[in-house]
Amino acid sequence: MTRRKLSLAAAVVTATALTLTACSGGEAPAADSSKITIMAPFLEAQPPSADGAVQQKLEELTGKNVSITWTPNASYEDKMNITLASSEIPQVMVVQGKSPGFVKNAEAGAFWDLTDKLEEYPNLKTTFPEVEKNASVNGKVYGVFRARNPIRSAVMFRQDWLDKLGLKAPETTEDLYKVAKAFTEQDPDGNGQNDTWGITVPKFGALGTNSPYDMIETWYGAGNRWTERDGKLIPSFETEEFLEANRFVKKMVDEKLINPDFATFDGTKWNEPFFNGKGGIIVDVDSRVSVLINLFKQANPNDFQNKVGFVGGLQGPDGELHTHPTDGYSGFLAVPKTSVRTEAELKNVLQFLDKMNSKEVAALLNNGIEGVNFTVEDGKAATIKPETPEGKTVATDIKSYAQLGTNVTGNNFYPVKQASAYEQEVFDKRVEVMAEDLKSAVYNPAAAFVSPTYVAKGAQLDNIVADARIKYLAGQTDEQGLKVAIKLWKTSGGDKVQEEINKLWQDSK
Amino acid sequence: MTTSTVDVKAPEQAPPPAPAPGRRRRFAVHFAHYKWLYLLLLPGVIYFAVFRYAPMYGVSIAFKDYVPFLGVNASPWVGFQHFQDFFSNPDFGRLLGNTLILAFLNLGIAFPLTIVLALLLNEVRLSILKRTVQTLVYIPHFLSWTIVASLSFLLFALDFGPLFLFINSVLGTDIDFLSDPAWFRPLIVLQEIWKNTGWGTIIFLAALATVDQDQYEAAIIDGAGRFRRVWHITLPGIRSTIIVMLILAIGQMLNTGFEQIYLMTNALNRDVADVFDTYVYFVGITQGAYSYSTAVGLFKSLVGIVLIFGTNALAKRFNQSGLF
Repeated sequence: MTRRKLSLAAAVVTATALTLTACSGGEAPAADSSKITIMAPFLEAQPPSADGAVQQKLEELTGKNVSITWTPNASYEDKMNITLASSEIPQVMVVQGKSPGFVKNAEAGAFWDLTDKLEEYPNLKTTFPEVEKNASVNGKVYGVFRARNPIRSAVMFRQDWLDKLGLKAPETTEDLYKVAKAFTEQDPDGNGQNDTWGITVPKFGALGTNSPYDMIETWYGAGNRWTERDGKLIPSFETEEFLEANRFVKKMVDEKLINPDFATFDGTKWNEPFFNGKGGIIVDVDSRVSVLINLFKQANPNDFQNKVGFVGGLQGPDGELHTHPTDGYSGFLAVPKTSVRTEAELKNVLQFLDKMNSKEVAALLNNGIEGVNFTVEDGKAATIKPETPEGKTVATDIKSYAQLGTNVTGNNFYPVKQASAYEQEVFDKRVEVMAEDLKSAVYNPAAAFVSPTYVAKGAQLDNIVADARIKYLAGQTDEQGLKVAIKLWKTSGGDKVQEEINKLWQDSK
Repeated sequence: MTTSTVDVKAPEQAPPPAPAPGRRRRFAVHFAHYKWLYLLLLPGVIYFAVFRYAPMYGVSIAFKDYVPFLGVNASPWVGFQHFQDFFSNPDFGRLLGNTLILAFLNLGIAFPLTIVLALLLNEVRLSILKRTVQTLVYIPHFLSWTIVASLSFLLFALDFGPLFLFINSVLGTDIDFLSDPAWFRPLIVLQEIWKNTGWGTIIFLAALATVDQDQYEAAIIDGAGRFRRVWHITLPGIRSTIIVMLILAIGQMLNTGFEQIYLMTNALNRDVADVFDTYVYFVGITQGAYSYSTAVGLFKSLVGIVLIFGTNALAKRFNQSGLF
């Protein structure tokens, strides 16, 4: 670690040295307005190439020389913090969330406050002001948020197993238990062996990561991170429903309805037990439905229908539906002041971002290049078959370029036409279920608020509860131990966080 | 290393100090005489100045509230605030304990094993066998911790890992090695042994080659068995090497290996797994609390310095031959 620290220190020193040289060297040259530098994460195995077709088209459409630094998603947060400490700061940075590192820099003035500036740009003036507020730091908008579907939680199950055992799709959490139990004990794959389990849960770290635990707690009525009780906001883990929900999950763990290695199971292998017929249920975001269907399709293109079934949120034991929404955004595009120094330069960058959210560029980022990888059929983007090597490259590249899409005025691009009638049907059902669930969404009432104490040590505090939750489920500690951990959260600084959040909440009313 | 020692000592042997101009001239003569040796020293000095001493400027952020955007100079001073926070933090005792326990386990188990392996290799008479074994035990050193961790996950995976199945069927138990806190430390030490013991034998084997062969012949004539010979000839012969290596190992002791521990940590074993290195990463890099984590790192370095000087003093006391 010393080495790591020293190299960070070395970077800092170099940065300072460069700043000093820049100062003594008189005025730095004015930024080239035709060049835009961006830092963005990529989720694929390889970043897109810098001279690919999508890149060229992007430069052609925006009229800028766009230089993107693609950074692996897994280490993006680290890299972002280090970049902010360096001298090579891009003009546009994808910020993945209101992390303490980001908030500290923002409050020190590292990023432009865009609160009153976005309105002038037709494609940046959002049609979801609530989400923009969620993405703000106590009301200050530091970036153009990247819109996401607010409802994404779903329960996916092996439809063939369900049919074989003559069960119904779950509607309540109690149904989920019954299906999981049947999947575990009634030999749903018919091989005569007791080798299946109900729900597959991978290693999940922190609180509020849309993990299966978070979703089940919300379904039980514990709220979503924060919840209003008696005119005050309290963290959802202080509610009785939180304990009930975890008792429920623990019962499933104890009865072996959940994979026993849930604390260590690698999340990137989440689909494997489902596909291989080991664990029949996944509780996750609904986009996994298509991923799972695709797995079965690749294995057997003639028989992949009716393998994957899904439902949205589940009714809790109180007989009501509390669905688990996201905050409606996934980070934002922020503009650092170090690289964009004047209002005029900011204007140039915002004009570029405005263009990035125009219909034609949004279609490029999300659909690809018309005539190369897709054609428009009935207002939908249909993949060109058979795929040309060129089309394939574009299709792969846009998975990364989509990270630059903000869609703050709704989706400007074409909805994707699914490959077969069955997949189209499933897709349409997904849209329908999610729209229905949106009506009972339980939002996080504290999404917009950033408390100073939370910035300083919130993540460590939350870890106390997150780890205790896993320990309780694994049987390493009992319910008393979980309660002790929640108390420890409060006494180690959580009380202060709560006080600050409540104050911000009152002030915003 | 030896050359630089000579250089440093040379001025001390010069005659008693003369008036300033004379001393200066004497130094010039001395310098002219040894100029090539000083030239040899130069790259080392530059290396340490640029890559080891200059970056220490950055350590000042441990006493500031550093915000990257403001830079090191503009960030406000906060004195010992971060150290106070750290020492009063409930995590402090746990981190120190975990770090020390792991460090001593590694030192107490892995370090002697290196010597034992070197002795065993030294006793192998068949040259081809010896070389093959040597090469084979070096290999794990070149695998990254990521691969070592992945191998461990495969071997100890719940319900299908071969070692999981084997050990539990022999012992009749149901231990989940990867998440059971009691098994975290043994696993870490085992990985360390597997990966680095072979590589560590290189220096000992070199030292063993210098032991006087005549003494063995004499001992054989006196009727000493193999163990007697190892105990009375081989070990004393490499004693100074062992002590130097021990002091170096103790200096490195608190560097418990970030990657290894980070990769093996999960929610169930975090209580025993958190060490200074992972804590600094978690708090500093992922949460952007640079100042606080620099303070933690600085504290760790101070403990390291105390350990290395302490061991050196002890070694001198017992053997009159320390590292410096």
